[in-house]
Amino acid sequence: MSTVGIRDVRKSYGQVEVLHGVSIDIGDGEFVALVGPSGCGKSTLLRMVAGLEEISGGEIAIGARVVNDIVPKDRDIAMVFQNYALYPHMNVRDNMGFALRQRRTPRAEIAQRVNEAARILGLEHLLERKPRQLSGGQRQRVAMGRAIVRNPNVFLFDEPLSNLDAKLRVQMRSELKELHQRLGVTTIYVTHDQIEAMTLADRVVVMNGGVIEQMGPPLELYDRPESLFVAAFIGSPPMNFLEGTPDDAGRLIVDDRLAMALPVKLAGSGRVTIGFRPEHIHLGEAGWPATVSVVEPTGSETQITARMDDHVVRVLVRGRTEARPGDTIHLSVKPADLHVFDGATGRRSEVAHA
Amino acid sequence: MSATAVLQAPLRRKSRLGGRVRIAAGLVACLIFLFPVFWMVLSSFKDQRDIFTVPPTLFFTPTLETYFGFMQRADITRRLINTIIVATGSGLLSIAAGAMAGYALARIRLKGAGTIGVLILLSRGVPPIALAVPMFLVARSLGVTDKHITLILAYCTFLIPYVMWLMRGFFLALPRELEESAMIDGCSRFGAFFKIILPISLPGLLSTLIFSMILAWEELLFALVLTNRYASTIPVAIAGIAGDTVNGANWGALTAVGTITVVPVVIFALLVQKWLIQGLADGATKG
Repeated sequence: MSTVGIRDVRKSYGQVEVLHGVSIDIGDGEFVALVGPSGCGKSTLLRMVAGLEEISGGEIAIGARVVNDIVPKDRDIAMVFQNYALYPHMNVRDNMGFALRQRRTPRAEIAQRVNEAARILGLEHLLERKPRQLSGGQRQRVAMGRAIVRNPNVFLFDEPLSNLDAKLRVQMRSELKELHQRLGVTTIYVTHDQIEAMTLADRVVVMNGGVIEQMGPPLELYDRPESLFVAAFIGSPPMNFLEGTPDDAGRLIVDDRLAMALPVKLAGSGRVTIGFRPEHIHLGEAGWPATVSVVEPTGSETQITARMDDHVVRVLVRGRTEARPGDTIHLSVKPADLHVFDGATGRRSEVAHA
Repeated sequence: MSATAVLQAPLRRKSRLGGRVRIAAGLVACLIFLFPVFWMVLSSFKDQRDIFTVPPTLFFTPTLETYFGFMQRADITRRLINTIIVATGSGLLSIAAGAMAGYALARIRLKGAGTIGVLILLSRGVPPIALAVPMFLVARSLGVTDKHITLILAYCTFLIPYVMWLMRGFFLALPRELEESAMIDGCSRFGAFFKIILPISLPGLLSTLIFSMILAWEELLFALVLTNRYASTIPVAIAGIAGDTVNGANWGALTAVGTITVVPVVIFALLVQKWLIQGLADGATKG
């Protein structure tokens, strides 16, 4: 196990810089998820930690050792790829033992470690099979097994669950978490799926356009998004946003038509975007009037899509609801659940709770 | 039920008709390609006097006379051996150099790599006859005319680009993560190439090797120019028999030697087909 230090790391392809100085300090045994839309640089950063991409600027350290100029095989890392990259001409046992054979580990120890990893992952009966004789989920497990037998300083995962179907993905997700809790190996996990990031990681790093938007424990990102981007990215269904100008009466004027009474006092008078999560909206007698357009029950909760003037608002209520399309409902949000972002910069504004 | 049956019937008839047309076209193409070969093999078993009879004799007592006659000629056996040496040598040399070059072109990010690839490919655009004479002059100055190695190197000039481009395609089809994974698992780039990529590409390598050997096996021009007595190959012998201005063309001999030349090519081609059908990298990825 080991810490990983990423300090002001930059990556350029020719003239184009795709990572603009990223710094993350990863603690010993910590599980960090890099999350963001495609092209945000998360995979590039992971590949730089692995040594598969050159580092254009800054430095990466694994433990106390700066690894900028160290080839992948000497970094003592293990990586699981999105497409698994199993060696097709070797059976499962040889796939899992390959790295150990490269390191001239004694035969008996290889056998013992492969068997141990196979036991953890439930692969014992598949050891003699070739990858093409395995299902997608089994291949994924073998890829994981190949990483485990190494007993490396750092695990790197590059969207390892993206190729699985939805049910298997959820199952593997909890297995992965259990595995991390058991082995306690420092882990960097890249995903575009914010739910994966939230559920797995000790700390989530949200990236966008080659910079870090925000990093912190999952619930901190959920409760206090520092920017509009993070607010929109984290949470499902996504946060509702309305852009407007606050007036002196404590209302938000949206499009000169809609005047919404705000539960908080907004400083200044510039344009702002307010955000509130679907699950934080209360339906009641008083509040902002809205017209129901779609009702989607899932049993445990119901999602309502409503319109306020031209603006679509999603509401998530626990249990069932009487609302029908065309009904008028009244929405309210607690002051603490209202997020305010600067209209110009998209950064979070602190508000005085009224 | 009846409605769907009515709808499907014409469709099925149509696709069956399409299948027949394709089969017929295939048969015609096969006939065009295979008839000369068939005629050559047939003629090689005839008596010399039966070869040109009109109408042609289709039923005759086959004789191996021409085969025996010509296999006993020392120069034919020597030339067969020469052809084997040169085809194997140039095939192996070009596969070794071409596969690595193809891998480099497929994988290594290098400024101007594309240009290098295109330049090597362009060299194939030069008519071989334009190269043959300079090659002969170079070989003569070096004193290496009429040697196996000269012909092997000459064949490499067109075989390496060929192998390189074929293998580049094979390598591009393999997921890059395979080598990356191997490199993380403890291999150098060379190690990853030899331990992971080569074993997986074996079917592709073998078929490319055999294709190149066939090309070398049948090559006439360079062999004609660069070799004389000692290292000359079978195609040169065939050309010699056909163009014998002193005794006239010996058609029986020509067809017999031609058949002997074609048989290994056919065997090789069948082998290649078997390998090509096998999947390349089944199971490496999500599948």
